[in-house]
Amino acid sequence: MTRPARAIAATAALTATALLATACGGGQEEAVAVDTSDWDAVLAQAEGQSVDWYMYGGDQRLNDFVNGEVADRLAELGVTLNQVKITDTAEAVNKVLGEQQAGRTSGGSVDAIWVNGENFATGVQADLWACGWTADLPNARYVDLDDPAVATDFGVPVQGCEAAWQQASSALVYDSAVLDEADVESVESLLEWAATDPGRFTHPAPPDFTGSMAVRTFLYDTLGADAVTAAAEGGGLADEDYEQARDETFARLLDASDDFWRGGETYPVSQEEVEKLYADGEISAFLTYGPGAVGSLVEDGVFPESTRTTVLSVGNISNVSFVGVPANAEDRAGAMVLADVLQDPEVQLGLYEATGIFPVVDLDTVDPALAERFAAVDAGPSVLSPEELTADALPELDSATLARIEDDWRAQVLRGTG
Amino acid sequence: MSRVRATTWRPGPRLRVVLLLTPALLVVGVFVVGGVLQAVLQSLGFAPVVGESQWTLDAYRRVVTDPVVHDSLLLTARVSVISTALAAVLGTALALLVRRLGGRRRLAALFHGTLAVPHLVGALAIGLLLSPSGLLSRAAYRLGLVDSVQDVPALTQDAFGWGIIAEYTWKETPFVAVVALAALSRRVSDLEDVASTLGATRWQRLREVTLPVLAPPVAAASVLVLAFVTASYEVPRLLGRPYPATLSVEAFQRYRDIDLTSRPEAMALAVVIALLTTLAALAYLRLVGGLTRRSL
Repeated sequence: MTRPARAIAATAALTATALLATACGGGQEEAVAVDTSDWDAVLAQAEGQSVDWYMYGGDQRLNDFVNGEVADRLAELGVTLNQVKITDTAEAVNKVLGEQQAGRTSGGSVDAIWVNGENFATGVQADLWACGWTADLPNARYVDLDDPAVATDFGVPVQGCEAAWQQASSALVYDSAVLDEADVESVESLLEWAATDPGRFTHPAPPDFTGSMAVRTFLYDTLGADAVTAAAEGGGLADEDYEQARDETFARLLDASDDFWRGGETYPVSQEEVEKLYADGEISAFLTYGPGAVGSLVEDGVFPESTRTTVLSVGNISNVSFVGVPANAEDRAGAMVLADVLQDPEVQLGLYEATGIFPVVDLDTVDPALAERFAAVDAGPSVLSPEELTADALPELDSATLARIEDDWRAQVLRGTG
Repeated sequence: MSRVRATTWRPGPRLRVVLLLTPALLVVGVFVVGGVLQAVLQSLGFAPVVGESQWTLDAYRRVVTDPVVHDSLLLTARVSVISTALAAVLGTALALLVRRLGGRRRLAALFHGTLAVPHLVGALAIGLLLSPSGLLSRAAYRLGLVDSVQDVPALTQDAFGWGIIAEYTWKETPFVAVVALAALSRRVSDLEDVASTLGATRWQRLREVTLPVLAPPVAAASVLVLAFVTASYEVPRLLGRPYPATLSVEAFQRYRDIDLTSRPEAMALAVVIALLTTLAALAYLRLVGGLTRRSL
């Protein structure tokens, strides 16, 4: 062999070895089984484990709460919590998918993911969750597991593959110095206001989570609350109904969006950008999934004091989010202990007090004294109470419909290719 | 014992080269070749996650016929060509200016400082400067140049891609300048002196002596810039629009799609990007080859 040929052969051999190593890395043995029916055994197994919890890290108050109260409670049980902040839950799911692809069936680096909706559905599609454990959590007795909002996740049956821990409700955030109460009455009045004061409303482009909700809010306004509820319960929308509502909604949006931010020519990529636009005074109203966080942002001076939240007459969109544990997680028992701690009514109260995030526990089942403390929490003048916020809550439709709405919006409204 | 062995056994020169190269080759092998191979396999329908692998060119067919990808390609080409051209011209001019004005060492340090700034930080800084609520539009508003910050033409998230171009130009100009400055050695001044003793005007000296000397290294640097800009992600993600997005942003959007079946398309796009940068790298190697021949 000539010299270069030999070098090439050496490179090729090394590459092949390396590829083989990546393909076989991690071994084929199954992850350590965790028998959740014996909770003491789970606690014993969890002791000394370090749980890597991948979660959206954009809410500072929530981060403080997680690294404070939640981490402290886990420390009491001998479990170390390591919060891994991500900007998009898909990153964590992709990481697990990558490990699964490489044949890593145990010792996975992601122990728990704050997840719901499409990302959960992706995980179900790839069969990457540990399932059938959530009913065994001691604190699951405070959660109504038969409630459709907890038993299904955007139309996908949960089947014990993820444990509920918080509730999100959509709301409209607006600057009351710019918009009257009449302007935020309904989708109709909001769009009318946009026409009189152009450039001061926008939402992120789907597939952003909140952007997707914004488009659904408009679509549901066309469909009407009853049709949406019926569709969610009856397993989806009929194609015909969907297409009719979609065409009507998009025509309306294309018409109104001339008066959106940047003349509706483009949309922000993420909700963080939208909130920054509001904080900078570029826009005066936006939709959010986290109305509870508005109070603290006003308090911190990020949002103007005249900021208020409200629910448009169509009702708001509400969903539950969960903690999922990948089947290959290294510290599975610890992750399940984390899920249990999060469902502890006192932790749920602490979460609500610290961040304004709504509890997932059924307040009828918790200690009455504790329920009273829930009722006594004052979120400030900017925020509606949970009762007001969820009075007209609309359910989430299935992930497939959601994906279809997102794709159609991108094609017809964002790209304008009707 | 070990000392004895060390003196008696010596790897031959060839083996030594291989051993010394092993760490670098491992990195290249695992992360570059392995990664690209994975992308190629998945773009051809290898789908271990979903559990159904069918070998097909469908993903490429879909990508090639997708009007979204066409728009994306157009934007990517526009942004990368314009920012590379601007960086090449400005970088060369800057190098010549520095040589004329002196203070070479301090300014070169400044250029190196800019090189150390991550693109992510650069993109955020450009955003703070150029966005409608940024420094520039606020200053224009304060100075009474516009009636409202909304009237300032949008330079970020704009249709043309000016914000992205601004970031790359700002970041890559010093890179070209550093390369050009290095090429402007004493030998070049000597050549220029010779030219001027032979009666060349300043313009003739620049055209016939300085620029021909600078052309190969600046061209080589420009090809590197072009390859980098074509494939880079964070700047167009932060300063660009959701549509049209550059190829890298588009590929990542598809990679993140909740439907795993759109992964082959993402991988096909990634392979296309890899091909484009490989072409640029080949052009670079040719240019460098030409350059070394010329200097010999």
